[in-house]
Amino acid sequence: MDWLLLAELGINGIFVGLMYGLVALGIVLIYKTSGLANLAQGALAMTGAYAAWAISVPLGLPIWLAIPLALVAMFCFGAITERLALRRMIGQPVIMAIMLTLGIEIMLRGLLPGFAGAAVKRLDIGIPVTPLFVGDLLLNRATLIGGTVSFAMILLSLLLFNSRLGVVMRAVSDDQTASWAVGIRVERAIAISWGLAAASATVAGVIWGATQGVDWSLSLLLIKALAIAILGGLDSIPGVLIAGVIVGVAESVATGILDPLVGGGTRDIVASVIILLTLLLKPHGLFGREHIERI
Amino acid sequence: MFYRRAGIRFTRYRDERQIWPLPLDRRLMLLVLLLALAAPYLLDRLYLVGYLLPWLIWATAALGLNLLMGTAGQVHLGYGAVIGMGAYGSVHLVRAGAPLELAMLAGGLISAAVGIVFGAAALRVKGLYLAMATLAMQYIVDFVISHVPFISGGSQATITVPPVRFLGIPIVGDAAVYYMALGVCIVVTLFMLNVRRTAFGRALAAVREKDYAAEVIGVDTFRFKLLAFWVSSFIGGVVGSVLAVCYLRSISPDQFHIELSIQLVAMVIVGGMGSVLGSFFGAALILFAPIVLNNLIGFMADSMDMQISTDLRAHVPLMLYGGLIVGFLLWEPLGLAKIYNNMRNYFLVWPFRHAQR
Amino acid sequence: MQIDRRNMLAGMGAAALASQVPVRVAFGQDKTIRFLLTQDFTRVYTFVTAEYSQGQRDYISLINERGGIGGHKIVAEVSDHGNDLPRAIESYERAKAQGMVLVDPLSTPVARALVTRVLADKVNMITAFSGRSDAADGSVFPYIFPLSPNYWTQMGLLIDYFRQTDGNLKGKKICFVHIDTPFGKEPLPILEALRDKLGYELQTFPYTPPGNDQSAIWPQVRRARPDWVVFWGAGVGQTVALTEAIRNGIRMDRMSSSVWLSESDMDVVGREQAKGVLKIDPCVLGREAKPIQAILDTVVKPGKGAGPENKVGTVYYSYGVMITALILEGVRKAFEIAPNGPISGPWLNAGLHAIKDFTADGMIPATTITTADHQGGGKGRISRWDGGKFTPITDWYSANQDVVWAEVKKYSSEFAKTGK
Repeated sequence: MDWLLLAELGINGIFVGLMYGLVALGIVLIYKTSGLANLAQGALAMTGAYAAWAISVPLGLPIWLAIPLALVAMFCFGAITERLALRRMIGQPVIMAIMLTLGIEIMLRGLLPGFAGAAVKRLDIGIPVTPLFVGDLLLNRATLIGGTVSFAMILLSLLLFNSRLGVVMRAVSDDQTASWAVGIRVERAIAISWGLAAASATVAGVIWGATQGVDWSLSLLLIKALAIAILGGLDSIPGVLIAGVIVGVAESVATGILDPLVGGGTRDIVASVIILLTLLLKPHGLFGREHIERI
Repeated sequence: MFYRRAGIRFTRYRDERQIWPLPLDRRLMLLVLLLALAAPYLLDRLYLVGYLLPWLIWATAALGLNLLMGTAGQVHLGYGAVIGMGAYGSVHLVRAGAPLELAMLAGGLISAAVGIVFGAAALRVKGLYLAMATLAMQYIVDFVISHVPFISGGSQATITVPPVRFLGIPIVGDAAVYYMALGVCIVVTLFMLNVRRTAFGRALAAVREKDYAAEVIGVDTFRFKLLAFWVSSFIGGVVGSVLAVCYLRSISPDQFHIELSIQLVAMVIVGGMGSVLGSFFGAALILFAPIVLNNLIGFMADSMDMQISTDLRAHVPLMLYGGLIVGFLLWEPLGLAKIYNNMRNYFLVWPFRHAQR
Repeated sequence: MQIDRRNMLAGMGAAALASQVPVRVAFGQDKTIRFLLTQDFTRVYTFVTAEYSQGQRDYISLINERGGIGGHKIVAEVSDHGNDLPRAIESYERAKAQGMVLVDPLSTPVARALVTRVLADKVNMITAFSGRSDAADGSVFPYIFPLSPNYWTQMGLLIDYFRQTDGNLKGKKICFVHIDTPFGKEPLPILEALRDKLGYELQTFPYTPPGNDQSAIWPQVRRARPDWVVFWGAGVGQTVALTEAIRNGIRMDRMSSSVWLSESDMDVVGREQAKGVLKIDPCVLGREAKPIQAILDTVVKPGKGAGPENKVGTVYYSYGVMITALILEGVRKAFEIAPNGPISGPWLNAGLHAIKDFTADGMIPATTITTADHQGGGKGRISRWDGGKFTPITDWYSANQDVVWAEVKKYSSEFAKTGK
């Protein structure tokens, strides 16, 4: 067993897992306030990456200006999506809302490559590609920076939940009717959570777009994000952090150990197996709240 | 108009409980059946092989999924994998020399056996979580199919369906293939039409509405949830073998990916959850809308000299596909079946709208 | 007529209906030869299809501008099948009703589903750089034409180039990083057969499709300290592989891939950073080749080009031109054999089988298609990215064809047994 290799894979896995966690953060934000799983989160990340690319390359603005602009635009986009589409789903069976987000996902995957071009776009945010060695370990600069940014974003959203807005959102997630009764604007809180989810997706999209290029395949981040969100518990932000690291390391190490044994890329399967095992053993995840159903 | 229900009064309960209580409906169904039987002689090959055949097969698959989603209220995002297992199971059996009839049933049983394992997840979790469990199942089955060389067929990963006979008739040429798909479709359709009138169907409906409440009134939810998965997966497996033998003729793992699952769920939703007729409508819309649109755009680009960029032109069907799902969920959640029903109810008493019940 | 909503709707409805009716033409009556170029513009093959299709259409326009072949115009129907079988089969049946004689689906799943159909219907199918590799065996697949070095041949070419460069591969280590799909796993038997013959060490690393995250693969490759790295994927997998390889400090001049590497991939990776990477050329790339020059003069300059001008001469554009040149050479030969037609699948089939030492004005290596060999000899050359373009570093050559054909025969004989 090559321990150095494992250490290297583990460290890279932590940071990649955090990058996935940033996509999962949006799913958790939306689930926390409205109780829906957003299957369009991957497509939102793709949309955010396209937005940043569209502002920086064809419009010619510098990248440090393009990213905040894209963030603002995507926040509005998320809130508008909620207002126009998801709000009508209140009171419908859960499959309807899931399919609606899936429909939005498919639509976005058609719209953006259709109008912006299907070829892979380069999104350069100025991360140098030269390898970085720490002792005998190689650290990947792109994942290092991406993982750190993601970590900061997730911490930031933890802080947010202690602010006034966060308290409102927590109240909404506890009991929508009761929050309504005490004068909280429930719709506004849900719309803001969608906006925030879209904004965090944009950051994730830009980070991933910088490592792999911008095209439709960014929407495939969804399955990893779902695995993280479910493992951590759909309504727990610390869960995202920890599950992100677990999924990232598990995938990375599985690639190193399982792949030669199975003779195939086990990476995606790890995510699926994690989803399945979590649901069978501990359906509400590591940190999720048990959901009590009344007849 | 041509729909009339005036003067039709039932004197026995049995009459009213028929599948089609109105004589007009019965005649209409008979007409459709006759047309379907005569189709190979009436229609050009393009329409038979290009439209009718896939429509029948996909509609049968949508019916199987509809049993689970519409009748029993269980979400399934991995139905494509179920179909894939049936297809692989039956094709391998046929290649090993088993007769197609047996291989078809065995394919169904294989799908049902694996499907029930994942259905077991439905006992612990539901709604959103069940959707995730079935999604994970889709990926795991995909992986197993493509990574076991014995199943996928080596480095080419394609296995060809050998010439087969069904009930003594060789399945070659367009007509035989079409009749085989039609036969399976009719059997499944009749089953689906009747299932709601049985104790099984009523138990499923109780589970769908509220499983705890169903338990309280004495329905064994454990058993019926598993049964729903079993039956639906069995249908999926049989459809898989029909798909392989009649339509694909050589199968490879990428034919049963998540796209197929999403396509089928979209068919059920666009058609109308729980509606038999809706499954047919939904399958037609989801299958043919991109084709029709593609032809339309091509026609416009050619004849009206409109300049549409290739990227845009190529992505319009995808936008439309997503748009259809979103549109139906927002504006007509009960799907095309509901639209059809509205029209039918309107014409049943036309022009005396006030007589509508 | 007053245009109100009802009229508009009726007009749109009529147009929608009209567009669905296939224009039925009897063979040979209207002096056209119909091709169906139904390809995947939207799902998996997005990275190549737009440019490939542009090259095909531009070359067809060039021949039509020159008056067609034998007094016949070439009509190419381009449509998108999105890698979705019902759509592909519908457009195939529709085109067949219109008298199409050749189809180019440029998609492995679609090509596989169409194999039994085209063999039964006697329609020629082009499976360049896609489809079954064993289709090179023309005796089993008479109507299927890869017309290009298949993946087994490409791998054989690469290994032979490594051998030429290092003199001897004994004890050397080759890492094969591939997408974990049938396409990615395809070269494995060749690599293993040659390993037994040449004595190199082989390590393989599969990555999950489509390959947008390979961060756990490349540290292992780096630690294996390979002498050569072959990366085998398509689209986003290729660019991610290159980026990760650069981040892991792997020498670019020891990295090589199949035919699926293009300028736009280099733009994504960074033109300077990817300097030195190797790929296989099945034809001359860039704008210098005579057919491309002719296209620029006759088609693009008058504004009849099928796409943006800056794409003319790119890698995948050139592949499109190369394949179309071979097809149209087949048409020309078909007219030599039977000048009066009738134009049909078997008629074109005879022409395609008569292609002999065709070089497309020096754009491709001399290619001969026989009834046994549909690959056309399996010639290619290696080129290197120099920061601005791919420059060839070898001549046209073919190598290890014995190993390749053993593999081809293995699968084609199995198809001959069970298929049909």
